[in-house]
Amino acid sequence: MTSNTLQITGLSRRFGNVLALDDFNLSLGKGELVALLGPSGCGKTTALRIVAGLEREDSGQVILGDRDITNVPAHQRNMGMVFQAYSLFPNLTVEENVAFGLQMRKVDKAKRMKKAHELLDLVGLDSQSKRYPHQLSGGQQQRVALARALAFEPDVLLLDEPLSALDAQVRANLREEIRRLQLSLGTTTLFVTHDQEEAMAISDRVGVMSHGKLEQIASPDTLYNSPATAFVAGFVGTMNRIVTKLSQGNVTIFGKSVPAKSTGFSDGDVIALLRPEKVVIAQESRSPNATVITRSFLGAASQITCRTQDGNIIQSLMPSYESGELHPGSQVTLSTTQEEVLIAHV
Amino acid sequence: MAKDLILATTRSIAKETGARKRTGLFGIGLRNTFPLFPLLIFLSIFFLWPIGAVFVNAFKNNDGSFTWANYQLLFQAPYNRAFYNSIRLGFISALVGAIPGALIAIAIQQRGSVRLKKLIASISGVLANTGGVPLAFMFLAAFGPEGLATLTLKAIGLDLYGHGFTLFSFWGLVIIYSYFQIPIMVIVFTPALDSLRREWRDAAHNLGASNTQFWLRVGIPLLTPSFLASFLLLFASGFSAFATARAMTVGNIALVPLIIGTLLDGNVTVNQFNLGYALAMGMIIVALLAMIPYLVIQARTSKWQR
Amino acid sequence: MAALKKRSFSQSLSIILLILIGILIALPLIGATEFSLRDGGRAKHNFHSYTWIFKQEDFFINATTTFEIALVALLVTFILMVPTVAWLHIYGKKYIRFVEIITVLPLIIPVVALATGAQLALPGWLQSTKYVLSMMYVVLAMPFTFRALDIGMRGVQLEVLVAAGRNLGASWRAVILKVITPVILPSIFAALFLTVALSLGEFTLAQLLHWNTFPTWVAVAAQGNILGATALSVGSLLAAWLLLFSFTFFDRKKTNHQEAA
Repeated sequence: MTSNTLQITGLSRRFGNVLALDDFNLSLGKGELVALLGPSGCGKTTALRIVAGLEREDSGQVILGDRDITNVPAHQRNMGMVFQAYSLFPNLTVEENVAFGLQMRKVDKAKRMKKAHELLDLVGLDSQSKRYPHQLSGGQQQRVALARALAFEPDVLLLDEPLSALDAQVRANLREEIRRLQLSLGTTTLFVTHDQEEAMAISDRVGVMSHGKLEQIASPDTLYNSPATAFVAGFVGTMNRIVTKLSQGNVTIFGKSVPAKSTGFSDGDVIALLRPEKVVIAQESRSPNATVITRSFLGAASQITCRTQDGNIIQSLMPSYESGELHPGSQVTLSTTQEEVLIAHV
Repeated sequence: MAKDLILATTRSIAKETGARKRTGLFGIGLRNTFPLFPLLIFLSIFFLWPIGAVFVNAFKNNDGSFTWANYQLLFQAPYNRAFYNSIRLGFISALVGAIPGALIAIAIQQRGSVRLKKLIASISGVLANTGGVPLAFMFLAAFGPEGLATLTLKAIGLDLYGHGFTLFSFWGLVIIYSYFQIPIMVIVFTPALDSLRREWRDAAHNLGASNTQFWLRVGIPLLTPSFLASFLLLFASGFSAFATARAMTVGNIALVPLIIGTLLDGNVTVNQFNLGYALAMGMIIVALLAMIPYLVIQARTSKWQR
Repeated sequence: MAALKKRSFSQSLSIILLILIGILIALPLIGATEFSLRDGGRAKHNFHSYTWIFKQEDFFINATTTFEIALVALLVTFILMVPTVAWLHIYGKKYIRFVEIITVLPLIIPVVALATGAQLALPGWLQSTKYVLSMMYVVLAMPFTFRALDIGMRGVQLEVLVAAGRNLGASWRAVILKVITPVILPSIFAALFLTVALSLGEFTLAQLLHWNTFPTWVAVAAQGNILGATALSVGSLLAAWLLLFSFTFFDRKKTNHQEAA
C-alpha cells in the first residue's frame, strides 16, 4: 500500500491531429495540493478531466490509493470537482446544491442538510443557503461550488481553473480560502490553472506543462530558482533574455564573464536567462553600461527597465526606497549577483 | 428561424427587466421620443386599430347598440363546437409536434456534429414556415390513392384507404400539421437544450449522479418550463392555422378560422357579421391565453439560461 | 458521459430514433416529389409538370402582383424600421425594451383575427389598393425584422461606432453612409429577406381580404391540375432550401469575420 493517494501513469490522449497529453505521469501524496500550470492547450485540463472520469484516455492508468480506477465511471470515483464557472444547478437552492453529493450517496435529508450548512458556514455563505445560484455573485457561486465538492468528503479535490472567471480581488481572496480549506480538511487536491502567480502562491508542488508534457514538477521555490528548462524559466515569473556568446563554459553578461549551466550546449550564440531581482543597478559609477528607460512603481518594489549599450532591454527589480534617484535617461551600471547562469538556445 | 427570434426577444426582455428599474416612458418629454412616432403610428393604424375595432364591434348589434349577444353565441352550437375542434386541433397537433420534435432535438444535440446541426436547422427553418396550400398539395400527392406514400405503406401491409383513411378529416389535418409543428418544436426547443450547460452534467456525474439521476434531478426540471413554453407556441400555431385547413377541409370540420373566413366572404346574412368579430375576438383570447404564459416562461427561464 | 464504456445504449437509441423520424418526415416529401415528376401515371417520369405553372394564363399577372406587394413591403420596412431601430440604439436605448414588447404583439394575434379587424377598420380607399397587403405584411414581419436589426446593431455596438465617427470629425451624412450602413448591411439584408419571404408566401390575409396574389391564385388554379400544383409546391420548397443554405454560408463568412476581429 503506497502513501501516494493519487497516481497517474503514462496518460496519453489525442484529439484528432493534436496530441493533448503525451505520456503524462504524476503522483500526489495525501493532503498535498499540486497545481498543474501551463498555457492554454498544454493538456492540463485534459489530464484533470481524465482523472475525474469525464474524459477517456487513449492509454495510461489512474490509481487512487490501491484501487485502479481507470475504468471506473465518473460518478463512482468519489472525487469532488470545481469547474471554472456556471456549474451550480440553477433549479436547486444553494443548500440543495451543496447537499447534492450526499443525496446521491443516499444520506437522509436531515443529515445531509446539516452537513451542507456546515460547509456553507466554512465558506461563509450560510446566510445564502435558501437562495438560487443566479442570485449570487461569481465569487459566491464558486465558494458554493467549493462547498458542494467537499460536502461528501471526497478522496480527491479537483479544481479546473476555478478562479479564472473572477475579478482580481475576489481571485486573491478565494485562492487563500481554497488553500485554507484544503489544509484544514487534509484533502488531496489537484489544481489546474494558467495563472502562475496563483499556482505558486498556494501549492505544495507545481507541475509546469507544455504541449501535453510535464516539463518540471517541484516546489514553487525550486521551480523559480532552479528551472529545469527554458520554458519553465520563462513561464514562471519574469525572466530577462540576454543575447550573448558562450565560450568555454562562460557567458558575458554586462561586460563580465559569468559561468553558465552549459551542459549540452556548444560554444556560440546563446540566450542567458536572468531574474530581474538578480540584476543590480549601481547609480553612480564612472563607466556606465546602460540607460534607464522607464521606472514602474509596483508598491514595495519598483521595476526599472534599462537599455544596455549592446542593445539588450533589461528589467531589474529593486526595493522602491532605493530607486528614488532613477529616472528615464539616468546612466547606470548593471551587474549580476547570479553565480551560475541558466542558458537557452537562440 | 422565426421562433428563435422570439426566444431571443424574450430573453433580452428578461435581461433588461432584471437589470434595471422601470423607466417612466411618458415622463420623458415628447420631443425626445419623436423619432419613435412613425413606428408607433404605423402599428396603431395597421395593428392596434384593427384589433380594437374587432373588440368593439363584437359588442355591437346591427343597429349599433351594445350587446353581449355575439359573445353569447360563441357558447352555442355550432360555434362552441368549432372552438372545441380548433382547441382540440391545436392541442393534439401540439402534442404530435412537441414529443417527436423534442426527441429529435435531444438526439441531435447528443450526436454533436456541427454540420448535422446546421443541416437540421436549415431543414427545420424551411419546413416550419411551410404551410397552407403547398403543404396541402404535397400531402395530397404523397398520400393520395396513387401516391408513393400510400403505395409504400401498402407494400408493408398498411392499406390506408382500405381502412377508410382520408386526409380530409380532423386526423388528416393533425398529420399534415405535424409537418410544420415538429420543425417548429425543433427550432424552439433546441436553444433550451443548448442552454443545458455541459458543466451541470459533468458536475452531476462528479457528485455521484448516474445519467438517470442527472436527468431526473437536474435535466428534466430545467427543461420542463421550456418544453411547456414550446408546447404553448405549437398550440397557438395549430389553433390559428388557416390556409392548410381551408385547403383540406370541404366544410366537414367546423374550425373557427374557417368560419370566420366564410363570414368574411360575405356568404351569410348581414346580421351575422358582428358574430364574425366575436369569433375573431374569441380566437384572440384563446391565443393570448396560450402566448402570454409562453412569454412569461421564456422570460423567467432565460434568466438562468445565460 | 458518466459510464465511459456504456454509452452505446443511449447513443444507438438516439440514432434509431433520428432515422425513424427522418423517414417519417421524408416520406411525404419524397412521395410528393415522385408524384410531381410523373407524366400521366407512374410509368414515365420527367419534369413536365414543373413548367405547368408558367404556362398558365394568369401566371404573369399574379406573379407580378405578389412581386409588387413584396417590393412595397420591403421598401416600407426599410424606411420605417431601419432608421427607427438605429435611432433606438444610438439615442433611445431605454426604449428598446418597450419597442421589443410591442413588436412581438403581431405574433400573438392570429392572422385570421387581424384580417377580420383590417377589413373592418381600415378605410375603403386604403383597402381598395393591393398595397394594403404590403402594410399588413410589414406588421406581420415586424417581430422578425425588428429582431434581426436589433441583434445586428447590438452585435456591433452601433452607438459606440457612431460616437467614434463623430469624434473623428464625420458629419451626420458621412456617419450614415460610411459608418452605420456598411456595418449593419447584413442585418438589413436579413430583415428585408424575411419580409420578402413572408410576402411571397402569405395566403391567409390575401385570401380574407379578397386579393388575387400568387399564393391565392395558385390555390385555385391548382385544383384543376394536382400534378402541376405538387410540382410547384415541391419546387418552391427546394428553392427555399437552396436560398437558405446559400444564405447561411454567406452569413457564416460574415460572422467569422466579426468574430475574428
